[in-house]
Amino acid sequence: MQHTQQSTRHFTTELAVIGSGIAGFAASIFALNRGISTAQVGNTGAVAYTTGYLDLLGQPDGVPHTMTDPWQALQTLRTSSPQHPLSRIAATDIQQAFAEFTAFLTEFGLTYTSPGKQNIMALSPIGTLKPTLCVPLTMAAGPQALADKAACVIVDIHGLKGFSGTEMVANLRTQWPALSTRRISFPDMERGEVYPEVMARALQVPATRARLAELLKGVAGHATVMGLPAILGMHDPDQVHAELERLTGLTIFEIPTMPPAVAGLRLRELFEQALPQRGATLIPQQKVTALTLAADAATLELSDSYGAIRIHAQAVILATGRFLSGGLDAHPDGITEHLLNLPVTQPSSRAEWYRERYTDPRGHPIHRAGIEVDHRFRPLRKDTSIFHERLFAVGSILAHHDWIRSRSGAGIAIATAYQAVVGAQRFIKKPE
Amino acid sequence: MVQTAISTLNFKQAALALLPIGANFEACLSCGLCSSGCPASGLENMDPRKFIRMAMLGMNEELSNTPWIWICTLCKRCEYVCPMNIDVSKLVFLARSNWPQDHKPKGIVRSCEMTRSTDTTSAMGMSPADFEFVVTDVLEEVRAKQPEFRHLQAPIDKHGAHFFVNQNSREPMSEPDEMVPLWKIFDIVGADWTYASKGWAAENFCMFSGNQEAWKQVIEKRVNAVNDLGCEVWLNTECGHSYYTMWHGIERFGLQANFRLESIVTYYAQWIREGLLPVDARWNTKNIKFTVQDPCMIVRKSYGDAIADDMRFVVKTLVGADNFIDMQPNRSANYCCGGGGGALQAGMTEHRRNYGKRKFDQIEATGAAYVLTPCHNCHSQMHDIGQFYGGHYGIVHLWTLICLSLGILGKNEQLYLGADLLV
Repeated sequence: MQHTQQSTRHFTTELAVIGSGIAGFAASIFALNRGISTAQVGNTGAVAYTTGYLDLLGQPDGVPHTMTDPWQALQTLRTSSPQHPLSRIAATDIQQAFAEFTAFLTEFGLTYTSPGKQNIMALSPIGTLKPTLCVPLTMAAGPQALADKAACVIVDIHGLKGFSGTEMVANLRTQWPALSTRRISFPDMERGEVYPEVMARALQVPATRARLAELLKGVAGHATVMGLPAILGMHDPDQVHAELERLTGLTIFEIPTMPPAVAGLRLRELFEQALPQRGATLIPQQKVTALTLAADAATLELSDSYGAIRIHAQAVILATGRFLSGGLDAHPDGITEHLLNLPVTQPSSRAEWYRERYTDPRGHPIHRAGIEVDHRFRPLRKDTSIFHERLFAVGSILAHHDWIRSRSGAGIAIATAYQAVVGAQRFIKKPE
Repeated sequence: MVQTAISTLNFKQAALALLPIGANFEACLSCGLCSSGCPASGLENMDPRKFIRMAMLGMNEELSNTPWIWICTLCKRCEYVCPMNIDVSKLVFLARSNWPQDHKPKGIVRSCEMTRSTDTTSAMGMSPADFEFVVTDVLEEVRAKQPEFRHLQAPIDKHGAHFFVNQNSREPMSEPDEMVPLWKIFDIVGADWTYASKGWAAENFCMFSGNQEAWKQVIEKRVNAVNDLGCEVWLNTECGHSYYTMWHGIERFGLQANFRLESIVTYYAQWIREGLLPVDARWNTKNIKFTVQDPCMIVRKSYGDAIADDMRFVVKTLVGADNFIDMQPNRSANYCCGGGGGALQAGMTEHRRNYGKRKFDQIEATGAAYVLTPCHNCHSQMHDIGQFYGGHYGIVHLWTLICLSLGILGKNEQLYLGADLLV
């Protein structure tokens, strides 16, 4: 008898969410807000790749044209791409979903700008602009300074890879003549490679903030606005940001950096702490290995380093992502869905996955492959019948969108999660 | 003396053999999340991402020889943050195993040798007779000087006791009065427990030395000791890696263990919930602030967040929810303090302190006056970096604070308390 394999742990929950990207976390947040008990499983790692910007719809599908009014763009999308996930959700629901999601983040110390009527033209680390709906408060002054053409200095850091003030200035010079750049060494990190995460954590210490503030004042020159790579704290960036503005007397904004970046890690760490605090069961590092659906119940099987886990739920939301996160598998003869072998809408052969030119503005057919769903976001069989009335699919795994090209990743994740939770709510029977 | 050369290991081949079917080190996206969140990054010009890339590129000679493998604390944070779940520590452990004994850090090797030198499995070489003497001596003193504990027990080799209790050697060897709060807690809750003359020691530097055969021997001795006494639960007290080395060792080596493995933290929480341990925070009238360090070995590497949540429940009950400030990041996402993986014995002090600077910053950011942790290596490392970097915090065992809250902490049991907490 070996006792190291501890007996299976059982969790009973109303809703199970499989996947821990933005879509999965959004689903859990919406469920918790509605008093639905929730268990969420999935590796949270890839959340760290996000910029922190929450896009709704920045470009019309297949056309390289920036949209300033995402709500108008949605109207157009409904006509041009009726199967697009966002075309199937009322604008008021999308608005509500964004408002609820950003309110949750704000409640836990990561304030976001409210979803507005227009897209914000947000800065990328190479000095290009990206249309997005909501940005973290720590980044909000950047687009404003650009609009104002304010005297601004971009500060980059010795040893930080993938963030160059010179490159930013070169790319923005024509539209922002008063932009300049300076370089500093981060306190106590003068040698070798430095990571945004390390600096962000160091800035949680008041003494480090004070030392950095002195360095920043020294390179501000005549500028009143300063842009920094996103390093202003990990746990409570609002406070670190406010403190640095107070110490320097400058208006400061952050710019997202290339992965491994802080903006995504903030979201990851916030989710990992906030959800259990709000009562969710979160198993953040593991993947579900089997999902069994009975008439009115589902069982998820997985294991962590401690042993086997079974989750018993009344409804399931599948938010397992695409190829990187393991929701979809690519094979020489086609694409399959990983967990339930759901039918995947896809090009007829592998030869048609990509167009000849990688940069073809129409995008590549493989990016539109994915799961078919009904109006409540329930996966469909090949004959278009519902796979299971209590199974929902959300986020990037869905078919008929190209989220990267259309700048709509967070929008699809958040809005479809909202619809699925509302749909799942019908099946959840509260204990007497 | 001529040292044996380090043989060159084929890391890629070894990695493939180590991995479960379907897993693949080549799945690494080179995103750098591992290195970004690793305090050993940059030391000896190495980091986890570089280690994986070099392995995949066949740079076996460099990897076979890098001393970085002794700076990495095998804390598995890299795996935790990796979207592809790539476990660098598996390769690091392999590299440690591959080093000839005479190349390995002497402190770790010596501690392993000491562990194997006696039936107690104590890394400080404490014999069964010495252990019995110390326990008896301390017990007699408590009974004599603390009348309310005239009846206190510290059984050794009690057959059929429910709990087989382990102990880090540092207590009986260096600070024996630190055992007393634990005995008092067992007394208060009415636990049926025993020490053993054999296999009581917690620590296992054989594991850290990469010597699998020695690791197995140590765990076998402990497993046999518990089996022989017929105890139902092997209870790991406040020492982090001792849980992992036993729990993982039993599975790794397929040993026959007729008992459950549990952590004292789980029981602290259970006893408080059941009302057996009537602690509260009323003593903390000055609102002294506390934080906790999650030991990687029992949280991320073993139980997961469940035990971290138990620890927070215990600590919040003890100090008051408003006086608890969580360290960031925490629970399974915590940072190793830098004292794990044998680092405190490895003799690479400058590297260990550079590594520990991240933890020091995290402690400072809380502003807490004390760090609570159920781990000896965490305790020692945080104490050292606190002194080195000029911190003003203290490090306290949970058992000390439990007895403080209960008003039963003896004069000799306050070793780690500052003036603000002395009774």
